[in-house]
Amino acid sequence: MSIYGYHIPTNVLVALLIIFSVLVTCTIAFGILNKVKKSKLSTELLTRVISWWWIAGGVAVIVAAPKVFGTVIIAYISFVALREMFSIGIFRSSDRTAMFFAYFAIPVQFYLAYNNYYTQFLYFIPLYMFIGVPFILVLTGQTEKIGRSMSVIPTILIQTVYLLSHLVLFYNIEIEGYESGPGGLLIFLLMITAFNDVFQFTWGKLFGRHKILPKVSPNKTVEGFLGGVISSAGLGYFMYFLTPLEPWQSLVTGVILSIMGFIGDAIVSAIKRDLGIKDTGNIVPGHGGALDRLDSILITTPIFYHLLIAYLSF
Amino acid sequence: MRAFFSKILYVILIRPWLKLIIGVRYRNKKIVNDTPQYILVANHNSHFDTLSIMAAIRYSQFKKTHAVAVEDYFGKTSLSAAAVRFFFNAILIGRSSKESKKDPIQQMSKALDKGQSLILYPEGTRGQPGVMQDFKRGVAVLLKDHPNVPFIPVFLEGFGKVLPKSKTLILPMNCTVRFGKPVFPKSTEIEDILGEVKTAILALQKRDERYTNDFENI
Repeated sequence: MSIYGYHIPTNVLVALLIIFSVLVTCTIAFGILNKVKKSKLSTELLTRVISWWWIAGGVAVIVAAPKVFGTVIIAYISFVALREMFSIGIFRSSDRTAMFFAYFAIPVQFYLAYNNYYTQFLYFIPLYMFIGVPFILVLTGQTEKIGRSMSVIPTILIQTVYLLSHLVLFYNIEIEGYESGPGGLLIFLLMITAFNDVFQFTWGKLFGRHKILPKVSPNKTVEGFLGGVISSAGLGYFMYFLTPLEPWQSLVTGVILSIMGFIGDAIVSAIKRDLGIKDTGNIVPGHGGALDRLDSILITTPIFYHLLIAYLSF
Repeated sequence: MRAFFSKILYVILIRPWLKLIIGVRYRNKKIVNDTPQYILVANHNSHFDTLSIMAAIRYSQFKKTHAVAVEDYFGKTSLSAAAVRFFFNAILIGRSSKESKKDPIQQMSKALDKGQSLILYPEGTRGQPGVMQDFKRGVAVLLKDHPNVPFIPVFLEGFGKVLPKSKTLILPMNCTVRFGKPVFPKSTEIEDILGEVKTAILALQKRDERYTNDFENI
């Protein structure tokens, strides 16, 4: 389909159609449930679905609109995630200058990603922010507990900016004979990751018996994890038409992304447990903070990018 | 006219900036717009407190809501006095502890008599983030003299990290403005009214789970 000469691949439209029809179905179902038998659960489900509409709208722009819009949206999400980490973490008053400085890594990193300066993209945060932030901390002259701040602030930048900015790299991929383009790759990644969360949650709720990480996240079970992996493999196989991959490669990707999603989820859970909070924030009604939603995408994005490069170079 | 231009600035610039960049979130802000006249009482940690509260108020209420500011701090230069008058519709009062020609309570009473609303910080000044200081008596005197005006408790969380006292760097940080239900004080003793106000503000702090940690004082 073309709008004013701007081309949206058919497969991407099909995928978006699937997402929005699932959403419409859920909204009607939960809406009726909330009307007929109003309870705390039904209201909660409805709030969640309404938030999903916002998320799906963002996804639609990221996969179907011109590159610059997607980049700006992803950069802003990254900013919200960074702000959230700064808000829940434990810092010293003398860290404020370094934290302010850290925010400026976002425009630089996304500029590098947008223009495909891949080498500079790779080392800007791991090298220069790991030098710049400690140096600014040193300038403030407060050495008490400075080691903690020197490690925590740049590491948060890796987690919320570096990992997430890999999403923009997909815009730069060009593959001969592959029609869906970056939109297809991105929607494949985002769908697998989001549905994997839902699969693991649902399988765990239905059949969960054995806890997998009892000390970190009591809600996660072996059954939920395995069910999630199998369902995501199936979804990966089914959605292969969005990617330049063979069906079996797509299935393996589903398995790997499912495991990575679990890891990302577990990492954020552990941080929350350490800080004694249930959610990382309240910016997404019904879901909690931005990081509660992004936890698995942070890890699956770079892994999918590297997988793709590996498949394509063979 | 002043309120009109001020409100335009709030709508097109200040509110988007507060919500998108700084990270201010509001809870139950309908309460303010549904109450015809009130004294808003809040804890005070930052210059952002008043800005964020004013940004939440609808125009019909915004026109007649005054922030109360002390003259010897905000009235030091004519520029800062003009700024707080423009943005906060401020009433500049003298400090009760110092020699002053105007009686601060009388100035505020006069505004209440005219049907106007006030924003007051009973702590008097911005304190350490997360630490509640002793309350000044003024708010209780006003509530006692105007039994028809309720107070709305407001708890501001995280603002001490955005712009703490004696700092100039503004740091984006998630922070919340939480409005409570309007309360008509039951008691008539000054001390008891102060107690009621304090309990109402602190109750808002405990209701939700905390999402922010205060800075360590290093």
